[in-house]
Amino acid sequence: MIKKTIIEQKKENTLFIILFLTSLILSNLGIPGIQDPAIMPNYFLALIVTFILTKRGDLNLYKLVIIGLIVDLFAGQLLGQYGLIFIGIYLLAFIINKILFINSEKQLIGLSIFLILFSFFILWASSKSHDIFMSFNLLLLQSILTFFTYLIFRAIINRFISK
Amino acid sequence: MAQITNSNNLKLFNRDTFPLFSFFILFLFCSIMMVADYRYQILKNIKSEFTITTSPITYLINLPVNLFNESRDSFIAKALLKEKIKDLEEIVYNLSIQAQENELIKAENKLLRNILKIQKDFGIIGKNAEIILPKVRNGYSIITINKGLENNIKNGAPVINHKGLVGQIINISENYSEIKPITSKTYAVPAIMDNGKENVILYGNGNGELEIPLFPASSSIQINDTFITSGIDDIYPKGINIGRVTEIKPTKSPKFNCITVEPFSQPTTFSQITVLKIKND
Repeated sequence: MIKKTIIEQKKENTLFIILFLTSLILSNLGIPGIQDPAIMPNYFLALIVTFILTKRGDLNLYKLVIIGLIVDLFAGQLLGQYGLIFIGIYLLAFIINKILFINSEKQLIGLSIFLILFSFFILWASSKSHDIFMSFNLLLLQSILTFFTYLIFRAIINRFISK
Repeated sequence: MAQITNSNNLKLFNRDTFPLFSFFILFLFCSIMMVADYRYQILKNIKSEFTITTSPITYLINLPVNLFNESRDSFIAKALLKEKIKDLEEIVYNLSIQAQENELIKAENKLLRNILKIQKDFGIIGKNAEIILPKVRNGYSIITINKGLENNIKNGAPVINHKGLVGQIINISENYSEIKPITSKTYAVPAIMDNGKENVILYGNGNGELEIPLFPASSSIQINDTFITSGIDDIYPKGINIGRVTEIKPTKSPKFNCITVEPFSQPTTFSQITVLKIKND
């Protein structure tokens, strides 16, 4: 297991808090030039997927549920929804790491795409309105945007946390 | 060539034990929360309680974007308004030139009238009104307008619009009046051909046209000849456009033809009309 120094741990936690607050702000803003507020990445999903896959921030199930509840308070539809999604992502990432040998960047990207799609599916399935008429294209667009956000978050993590 | 990978980020198979019990407890907790929230609207209540604190934060977060959008809109509106003002200025300029031309024509007209010693005042006053209800009563079409006794409208006054004669006032009340249109069956108006040769009386035929039932066959008349009011009845001022000849039909008597005249102005084509009042002095 990789041992982290206290300074590294602090750095990761600070970065997580900063990115979380940034996500909170960005999720209240639309993308400039796009009128439809639905066309926006899910910053929180991207953030959690990034931190789970890069194994930063020392996230565990309890922390994820608490973060999920905070997200629900500010940007959620249903209390407990994001908590459920986050622990779902954690479980899936854990199982995949258990049975598969994630060795290359391509595999990591594939896994991130799978986790993002999975989380969107859970989000859609547990949606309060059960909006079955939600356009597939819109979901796909949101997933793509979330994936790009994931890439940006990962680049930020790699840039600011020394290895 | 070996691929460079970041070994710090990757693990060779995860050997940790998954906290299955915690997962189920938390899964159950989240599910119960969701059901409870769906049933008791907990999140909605919490959000409404925290609105006072969250609203200013949301406002501040959205402020830059809102400011950007508003300033962009105002710049666009300003540009559009500038363009509109420019267009309107051009129109005003053209109209002022037209007004000058009209003044010139008026002065010339006055001069010519003085030279020719023509009556200076036509003695006609117009009162603008609006058609509020065209209707049919006992088979005759009637037009109701929004001016009446209060506006000094007199019974029998001729009614025109910018195309020509519309009809005559037949009923008046305080606030509205009724017009008999020129195409009405019981309508008649003395007319003259615009070349001044033939004095006739035109009758409405009830089918949107006027006619001269017995027009001497010996008289010269052609399709598209126009008729204007002759003014001999002292009701209609001379020179108001009435209509043009569209058909010349033979009658049973070979000495006469029936002339059909299409009016220049269908009474209900335009909502604005003018009621004429002739000065007595």
